[in-house]
Amino acid sequence: MSGTLGGYAGTVLRIDLSKEKVKKEELSREECAQYIGGRGRDAKVMFNEVPVNADPLGKDNILFISTGPITGLLGPTTGRVNVAARSPLTGIYGNSNAGTNFGPELKYAGYDCLIITGKADKPVYIAIDDDDVKIKDAKKLWGEGVFETTLALQDKLNGYETKVAACGPAAEKGVLFGSVIFDLWDAAGRTGMGTVMASKKLKAIAVTGRGELEVADPKRYRDIIEDGWLGLVNDPGFRMGEHQALGTSVCVGWGNAQGWLPTRNFRESVFEGADKISGEEFRDTISIKIAPVPGGRACMSCPNRCKRFGRIDSGKYAGTRGNIEFEGVAAFGSKCGVDDLKAVFHAYMLANDYGVDCVSCGNMIATFMELAEEGIINPKKSDGIDLRFGNADAMVEMVHRIANMEGKLGKLGATGADQATKKIGKGAEDYTTCIKGMDTIACDPRASKGFGFTFAVASRGSDHLRAHPVFEMIKLKDEVGQEMFGSEESCTLRGYGGKVNMVFYHENLSAVTDSMGTCRFMHASYYAQYPIPEIRAKYSRKKREVHSIKYHEWLSAATGLDIDYDELLRIGDRIINLERAINTRWGIRRKHDTLPKKFMKNPLPSGPAKGEVFSKKQLDKMLDEYYELRGWDKKTGLIHMKKLKDLEMDDVYQDLKKRNLIASSSKKKGGKTTKKTTKGRKK
Amino acid sequence: MPKLTFNAEFCTGCRACELACSFKCDGVFSPSKSRIRVVKMDEEGIDVPVGCEHCDNAPCMLVCPVKAITEDKETGAVLLNHDTCIGCKECLAVCPFGAIHYDEDRKIYYKCDLCGGEPECVKWCETKAVNYYSDLDDLLRDRRTRRAEMTSRAMSESRFSSGGGSQ
Repeated sequence: MSGTLGGYAGTVLRIDLSKEKVKKEELSREECAQYIGGRGRDAKVMFNEVPVNADPLGKDNILFISTGPITGLLGPTTGRVNVAARSPLTGIYGNSNAGTNFGPELKYAGYDCLIITGKADKPVYIAIDDDDVKIKDAKKLWGEGVFETTLALQDKLNGYETKVAACGPAAEKGVLFGSVIFDLWDAAGRTGMGTVMASKKLKAIAVTGRGELEVADPKRYRDIIEDGWLGLVNDPGFRMGEHQALGTSVCVGWGNAQGWLPTRNFRESVFEGADKISGEEFRDTISIKIAPVPGGRACMSCPNRCKRFGRIDSGKYAGTRGNIEFEGVAAFGSKCGVDDLKAVFHAYMLANDYGVDCVSCGNMIATFMELAEEGIINPKKSDGIDLRFGNADAMVEMVHRIANMEGKLGKLGATGADQATKKIGKGAEDYTTCIKGMDTIACDPRASKGFGFTFAVASRGSDHLRAHPVFEMIKLKDEVGQEMFGSEESCTLRGYGGKVNMVFYHENLSAVTDSMGTCRFMHASYYAQYPIPEIRAKYSRKKREVHSIKYHEWLSAATGLDIDYDELLRIGDRIINLERAINTRWGIRRKHDTLPKKFMKNPLPSGPAKGEVFSKKQLDKMLDEYYELRGWDKKTGLIHMKKLKDLEMDDVYQDLKKRNLIASSSKKKGGKTTKKTTKGRKK
Repeated sequence: MPKLTFNAEFCTGCRACELACSFKCDGVFSPSKSRIRVVKMDEEGIDVPVGCEHCDNAPCMLVCPVKAITEDKETGAVLLNHDTCIGCKECLAVCPFGAIHYDEDRKIYYKCDLCGGEPECVKWCETKAVNYYSDLDDLLRDRRTRRAEMTSRAMSESRFSSGGGSQ
C-alpha cells in the first residue's frame, strides 16, 4: 500500500531476467502526479530508460505491464492493464491495452507495475504470490499454446485465483505481431508486445494477490463512483442495451448500415455477408448462455459485459472456444470476404492460442488475398494455396502458416503487412493500409472522417483506440457537437468540421483513462463523462437528475491528488506529447502522420458512403489545425519548446534539445490550447 | 422471510460484488476479504457467484460448539459473533459454500451478515445475478415468471420454425 497516495498499490516490481534479480521500488509520487500510471507512466519510464538504439527484440528493450490507480477498485470499469515496449512491428513506441482480471490481481499482490528488463538464457516464467516473486524454469511450457500454458500454470499454482499473462508459440518463433494474452482470451494484441516478451524468453507471468487497496477519501469515493455508475447506466446508448446484448460484434451490423465495415481488404465498406457474421448470428449459433446475457462476460467491475463467449461442439471446427470481439470478427470475416462465422471464430481462436494479434493477422491475410487477385503474387504456385477473398479454408490455413512461419507466404506474413508488401514490391505497397508500420483496424476512414484522422495521428500507428471518436457515429444532438467541438458537423460521419477538436479531446481523455486503468467505452462509445450528460440535459425537454462520470473527481478521491477538469485534460495532452517525444527520437515526423494512398485516392465503390475519399487537402488542413493545438511544428512535426515548458516537461525538453529534436522557433508557437477547447464547460 | 440469491446464469464475472463487499465492510478493495466470491471458470466461459446462503438448518450453526453462530429471526441472517467464537474452524469445514472467512490481520473468523438487510453486493450487481428478496413470495413469483417467459419464447420460436403446424 502506498503511504502517500491512495488507489495505487505503491510498489514497482523490477525484474532483470539477465541477472535473475528482482527489485521492489517505491512508486514515484512525482511520476504519478504528472503521468498518473499505466500508459502514461510507462511512457515516461520508457523515455528515460529505453536507449534510442535499443533493438526491439534485444536485451535493452523493456517490457512494461502496468496498471493505474483505479485498476482493481470498484467503479464504472476498473479492469484495464497496459503493456508497453519499443515495438518490433513498427520500430516506434508500442503499447497495447487489455481488459482483464490480471491487472487487478497484480495490484492485490501489491504491485502497480512490472518492469521487465534483460533477457533470460533459457525459457522462464515469473510466479508472483503476494510478496513472493520467483523466476522459474519454463522449459516444459515453451512451445505450448496460450491455452495449455495458462491452464497448466493455474493448475500448478492457485487454481482459478491465479491470473496468467502468456505469450504464444508464434511470438517465440518471431512473428512480429505476437500478442500478450491474459486469462486465456484477453489480448493485448497490437504492436507485437508478445514478441518482445518471447524475445526475453519469458513465457508467462502468473499472479495471485490477496492484499487490499485503499483510497484517499472513501466516503467521497463512494459518492463519486455511484454518480458515475448511474451516469453510465442512464446513458441513452447503454439503455439501448445493444452492446450488452451482442458485445462489440454489434458493430458488424452497425458498421455495415453506416457504410464503414471494411470489406475485402478495404476495397469496399459494405459486406453482403454481414448478417452471417453478425453479433446476432454469434448469439444464436455459438454463444452458450441463454437469457439475459448470452455469453456475455465482463472485465473487472464493468456493467457493460462486452466480451462474448462461444463454443463449437461439432463439425470441422469442434473444440473451438473463447471470447470474441468485433475487431477479430471483422479482420477474419469481412476484411477477408469470409461469411462463415464458424470459420472466422475458429481462425480468431487459433490466433489467440498461437498468440498473434488477430487484427494484424487478419489484415495480412486479406492483403495477400487482394495481391493474389490483382496478380501481384501467385500463392497457388508459390505455396500451393488458393488464396482469394471468401475462401474460408485458405484463410484458416494461412493463420497456421503465418503463426508457424511456414512456406514463402508464412514467412513473409510473419513480418506484418507493411514489411511484407515492401519485400514483395511490384506496387504491392499500395494495397496495404499501414500507417507508421501498423495496419488499420476495422473502420473505413473514407466513411468516418474522425476515425480517419485518428488513424493518421495515433502514436502507435494506424489505430482507432487513441481517440475512439464514436461521437460521430451515434445520434447526439447537434447542439452537443456545437458546444463540445465547435461544429455541428462533429456529430456526422462524413463531415470534416469540428473533427480535429473532437479527436484532440478524445485523445486527451483517453490517454488519461488508459493511465487510470479504466475502459474506453465509458467515455468514447457511451458518453457518460462530465460534461456531456450535463450538456445533453440542457437541450433535453425531459427534466431529470443528471449523473455523470467525473474522471477528475474520481481520480482525486482515489489518489488524494488535487486534479480538476482542466488539469485532467492537460495531463492527457502531456501524455500524448510525451509519446510524440518518444516517437520523435525514433524518427517520426509530419510526413508519417498520413493516410494510406488507398483511402485518399480510391473512392468507395458502393454503400451509404459511395464516392467518398479522405481528401488529402482536408487532411493537410486538419493536420495544421491539430499541430497548432498540440504545439507541434507544422512543417516538421517536432514539438515546440514552449509546449513542453507549458506542460512542465522540462526533462523531456532537455533531452530532445540535446538531440536537436526541438522545433526551431518561429513566430507561431503552440500555446495553452487545452484551455481554449474547454471553455464554457466548467461547472 | 428474506433471501439472498446467487444465479450463475446471470453472472458476467465482473466481481463488482466482491469489491462492494470489502469496501462496505472493511473500507478497502480486496476480493480475498470479500464475503461473496465469484469463481471464474474462464475456459468454460462461466462465472459462478458463491456466498452465504443463510441456510435454515445452517450446518455452521449446528456444529458450532459455543453457539457463536445464530440466526437473526427478523432478517433471516445467519450471524457469527466473533467474541464468542473459539476459532475451532468446524464451521469452515462443514459449510458447502466456503462462506466462512478468516481475517489474518485481526485473527478473527467472519461471514456475511446481509449488511443488516441491505446487502451492498446486490446494489452493484447490474444483471441481478446476486439479488435480495425481502419476501420469499417475491422470489418465487420472479422464478415462475421467468420460467413462463422462457417457455413462451420457446413455444413461439418453435411455431415459427415448424411453420405454424402442431399436433
